Amino acid sequence: MKIHLLTFLFFISFSAVSFSQNQDQPKINGFFPGISLERFFEQVEENTPYRFYYKKQEISSVTVNLQASDSKLSDLLDAVFQGTDFHYSVGADNSVFISKGKKLQVSLSDDFFSNVENAGSGSSGQVDDAFVRNNRFIIGQSSPDKKTAILSGTISSLENQEIITGAIVFEKIDFTRTISDREGKFSIELPVGRHTIYIQNLGGYIEQRLIDLRGDGVLDMAIGESIYSLSEVVVNSGSINQISRPEMGVQTLTVSEMKKLPAILGEVDVLKGILVLPGVNTVGEASVGFNVRGGASDQNLVLFENSTLFNPSHLFGFFSAINADMIESVELMKAGIPANYGGRLSSVLQMKPKFGRTDKIGGSGGIGLLTSRLSLEGPIGEKTTFIAGGRTTYSDWVLDYLEDNADFNASRASFYDLNLNVRHMFSEKDILEFTGYYSQDQFQFDPDTVYSYQNQNYALKWTHYFNDQLEASFSAGKDKYDFQIKGEDNPLNSYEFGFGLDQNFVKAEFRQEKGFQHVIRYGVHLNHITLNPGLITPYGAESIVIRDEVEQESALETSIFISDEFEINDKWFVSGGIRYNLYNYFGPQTTFVYPEGQPTTNENVIGEKTSREGEIIKTYYGPEFRFSGRYSLNNQSSIKAGVNSMRQNMHLLSNSSVISPTDTWKLSDEFIAPQTGIQYSLGYFRNMAQNQLEFSTEVYYRSMRNLLDYRSGATIILNDDVEQDVLNTNGKAYGVEFFLKKSAGRLNGSVSYTYARSLYQTNSSEQKEQINGGTEYPSNFDQPHHAVLVMNYEVSKRFNATFSGNYSTGRPITLPVSKFVYAGSERVYYSDRNEQRVPDYFRLDFSINLEGNHKVNKLAHSSWSMGVYNVLGRSNPYSIYYTPEDGALRGYQLSIFAEPIPFVTYNFRF
Amino acid sequence: MRFKDLQFLLVLIFLFTGCREPFEPEIENVQGGVLVVEGYLESNGLESVLSISRTAPISGVESFIPELGALVSLISDSGQLFKLTELKDGEYLFQQDIPENQSYRLEILLRNGEKYYSDPITPIITPEILDAGYIRDEEGVEVYVNTQGNEVADDFLWTYEETWIFRPVIRTPYIYRNDTKEVELRKEEEQIDLCYKSETNPDLLLETSSRFEDQVVFRQTITEIPQDDERLMERYSILISQKSIPQEAVEFWETLKRNTDDIGSIFSPLPSVISGNLHLEGDEDQPVVGYISLGVIKQTRIYINQKDVLPWAFNDPEFDDCSISIEPIYIGSPQYFSDFGTGAVLPARELMEGTTIVAYYSSTRRCSDCTLYANRGKPDFWED
Repeated sequence: MKIHLLTFLFFISFSAVSFSQNQDQPKINGFFPGISLERFFEQVEENTPYRFYYKKQEISSVTVNLQASDSKLSDLLDAVFQGTDFHYSVGADNSVFISKGKKLQVSLSDDFFSNVENAGSGSSGQVDDAFVRNNRFIIGQSSPDKKTAILSGTISSLENQEIITGAIVFEKIDFTRTISDREGKFSIELPVGRHTIYIQNLGGYIEQRLIDLRGDGVLDMAIGESIYSLSEVVVNSGSINQISRPEMGVQTLTVSEMKKLPAILGEVDVLKGILVLPGVNTVGEASVGFNVRGGASDQNLVLFENSTLFNPSHLFGFFSAINADMIESVELMKAGIPANYGGRLSSVLQMKPKFGRTDKIGGSGGIGLLTSRLSLEGPIGEKTTFIAGGRTTYSDWVLDYLEDNADFNASRASFYDLNLNVRHMFSEKDILEFTGYYSQDQFQFDPDTVYSYQNQNYALKWTHYFNDQLEASFSAGKDKYDFQIKGEDNPLNSYEFGFGLDQNFVKAEFRQEKGFQHVIRYGVHLNHITLNPGLITPYGAESIVIRDEVEQESALETSIFISDEFEINDKWFVSGGIRYNLYNYFGPQTTFVYPEGQPTTNENVIGEKTSREGEIIKTYYGPEFRFSGRYSLNNQSSIKAGVNSMRQNMHLLSNSSVISPTDTWKLSDEFIAPQTGIQYSLGYFRNMAQNQLEFSTEVYYRSMRNLLDYRSGATIILNDDVEQDVLNTNGKAYGVEFFLKKSAGRLNGSVSYTYARSLYQTNSSEQKEQINGGTEYPSNFDQPHHAVLVMNYEVSKRFNATFSGNYSTGRPITLPVSKFVYAGSERVYYSDRNEQRVPDYFRLDFSINLEGNHKVNKLAHSSWSMGVYNVLGRSNPYSIYYTPEDGALRGYQLSIFAEPIPFVTYNFRF
Repeated sequence: MRFKDLQFLLVLIFLFTGCREPFEPEIENVQGGVLVVEGYLESNGLESVLSISRTAPISGVESFIPELGALVSLISDSGQLFKLTELKDGEYLFQQDIPENQSYRLEILLRNGEKYYSDPITPIITPEILDAGYIRDEEGVEVYVNTQGNEVADDFLWTYEETWIFRPVIRTPYIYRNDTKEVELRKEEEQIDLCYKSETNPDLLLETSSRFEDQVVFRQTITEIPQDDERLMERYSILISQKSIPQEAVEFWETLKRNTDDIGSIFSPLPSVISGNLHLEGDEDQPVVGYISLGVIKQTRIYINQKDVLPWAFNDPEFDDCSISIEPIYIGSPQYFSDFGTGAVLPARELMEGTTIVAYYSSTRRCSDCTLYANRGKPDFWED
């Protein structure tokens, strides 16, 4: 939406000349590894109309070491001459003058270009690059009593004309700065007079404009987004953003950053990537289920645009469900969750889909040892763009290979997923976007039992811009998740078991700007959920399995929300929101009746109650508050605080500590109330070394109510009366997080450390069972110490190496500690719930990425990524289990990747 | 149900070059283990046994560590004291006819000076088992009991012991005598084709009679014997014990039952700590395992014959290779002495020439000797 508003503005303020100039400017390609400047000029002259004029002896000491891919000459020269005394000037006929000490003046006087400047209302900075860089734009009408003036405008990309969010606009004398907002707009107040304005697109390149600021005025700028790298992703939450935004606990990872992380088996993994962030951890190596700030894995809202992914994993969690080529960025909100999101207690993981390029049909893909992927994108006609992609696995050969060393056979595992994102622009004011996702997983460990599951997500979103101040988006969609087990080991017992979830949603969201200080958002969100908790049916004619079905459940969630971001002044920026959630649980449903005030146990059942279809069995409602505020200490640092309250109406029933596909969902009903939680957080954010280093630390405290823990021996599959097996539990979590990130330079990376606790306590009113005698105990994912180090070193533009380390305290488990004989049999004596821990987790990975050459005319750009996962070959325990052996119970720890796992993937783009 | 068995993850883990290593956590061993006390003391003067032991290290072979030399007594509200006498191996005999309208306290004084006591216990007279029987259905045989609770006896616990006749695949009447080197017919005490196999089942069955109309527990399933199971290869017997337990004991037995059903794999239900109605004096937080009850146990035994549940064809694939040899072993041949001499090969059938046995067809011992798998002697209770 934002992108198109910008494009629209772009057209208004922009002269057509600049287009053709941009298009015509010669682009330079090639790899120049430490050659002399003279040789570089010769090579450029060979392929472009540029002609260089210089003094041979002056430039003899300069060498060129760069990689150019569709690069502009000015950018290359800027890089070459950075830190030297050399200057260059480009004349109109592509003559380039190199001078030492003093810049040759080849541009014309200010007045000459009065045709491109529209004093007072709008100047265009989007003309030929070399020109705009050296031209001094005259902005505004001077008036004698004005000391300062406001410069505003929009920033867009030179390459694809899309707006750029989060670009920093600054001048270097007083270090006044601002950031382009979601629509690429910026506004900066400067003293009247001449300035050099710098524009930095984060992770990109610094551009500059010379201005002569005489009064308030507009300067729109098109800047080069990516000069050297093949970076494909817009960074939309960067270092300055981190200081100035009011929210906290929000972290963005771009796909290109993820690509640098060593992945399991060579597949870039969206969800694994967020595990480098502080406050995020996982209980098992191969589980996509992740825990944010002491919350359970079902408390994360995983969104692909507006679609909820209920099982975000493939192959039991070895790969995450979304193809990294299909998304632009991933944003994780641990706190400071805006009021327009709701439904989960811990966090929101927002994956932003990609919508295809506008210039030509292109594609990308990858071939790895286990998986391959391919995507195609581009325009269809003038107003529509698409991107379509698929992934599949052929891991069976690996399983076959490994079977030679193992005792099983007929293991099979496969998955595929398909994505289609289409965007259509009806006009500058109306944009329609479609996102579709389908995935299918199937696996088996013996020939007779096949497990499979499917995700299906379809959503449509229509964005309409009423005017500069008001925009609205309306979306509707369907999210579906189904799981099946088919057992055929014996014709008599053959069965099919399945459960499924079907969610239909409608969402309307408005965004309104009130002056410069307020951004108000409001909307309504309706969500209808139908849940089939479980059904077993006989399979085949001979089967004598008895059909058994847990009654279907349905509910409607209605939420309305309103929020305001209020920039009070330079120092204070606050945002507040309220979301009101109404939850109705509908019949038909037959439930047990228990006496008032008595525990919901089987012994206490006194009858049954049946509700009619459509009858409201139970209603829950309540407000959720979201407040956060920022206080800037100075341009480099700020303090933020926030309070967040959340509600969650659906629960994942998981009687184990990892997400397994057989975990089923449960809607809140008359016995199981919605989970609620509140989080308080406080943070300090500081940027150092010209924003190359970002440091942040946050402390938080959360309390949660109506969590579910389980009685000993609880059954969750095909359980009609889950209320008998769950225990109302309170939770609390607290912690402190440190994060240091270096985003620029050849050596970049991040270090994070978290100390956090997550504790449960059976609600004292729970009469069924009090776990550990009603005292506090660690939750399944209480891992106090967690540290992650990621280091990336760019050996050259084509070659980078990444090293990462990951440490966390082992997760808590309940272990058998001794045994005894009772009632004629050997029995096991267990420790208190979660009293013991598995050994600590520690892993080092290493990977390298090799880019192919960047000649513009070749068929495809390619890269290789290879590396080793778990370099040390450490056996990190995933599970502990006990098994009787020679009459004694013996404990074993299982590790998944107990050896170094090498991987290699070939990626290509065309 | 099969799909409940989530062991497949473990299998998956092996797939991915997974590795399995012994795991020995450093568990602070409760000194000498936790005290375990078990007993349902008969209040009507019949013999009953209280057993006192300690929990044993999980990785050890021994799982029963008896607590010897304890002084155990039952004290009534009115101060009457009934002593238990030590038998052996941590077992203490109780044989007293005690008034059933009083409340009692069990006291255990250990040799190390620790004193344990129980919460007050009221004897409960278990109602009679109204009926015990079985139902033959498509899935096999289901053994059930019917009973009726009353105002004092509401919660029931059933346990059972099973015994059945076990036959070898190949029955042989012959025995080779190593001293005389001759084959003779086996004597009664040497027979190896009729054995009895007994098992105490770890199952604990719990039910509350007040859930049902008139507190009648109808057709409470005790055990289900799947079609063609070994237990009904010929004749099967089950001794069902019915005990009334106070409501507070239900949680103890349920926890025990649930903790038994799994052995702590990652997907198994979370176990929980078990306690009971015993406490250590002076340190009430110290765990003690056991729920002691007082009362009268009711038992009944039923028999089921294979011919009453036909068709029932037990077939153990382990013995699929068993057959009588095709080639006879002639008396006096070198093979005769070597094969039969080892005891691993047994004479099974005779080969006659006229009226004389000249050779024997053989069988292996594992196919013919039921004493390898069960006990030869007929149990005292067994009725044919």
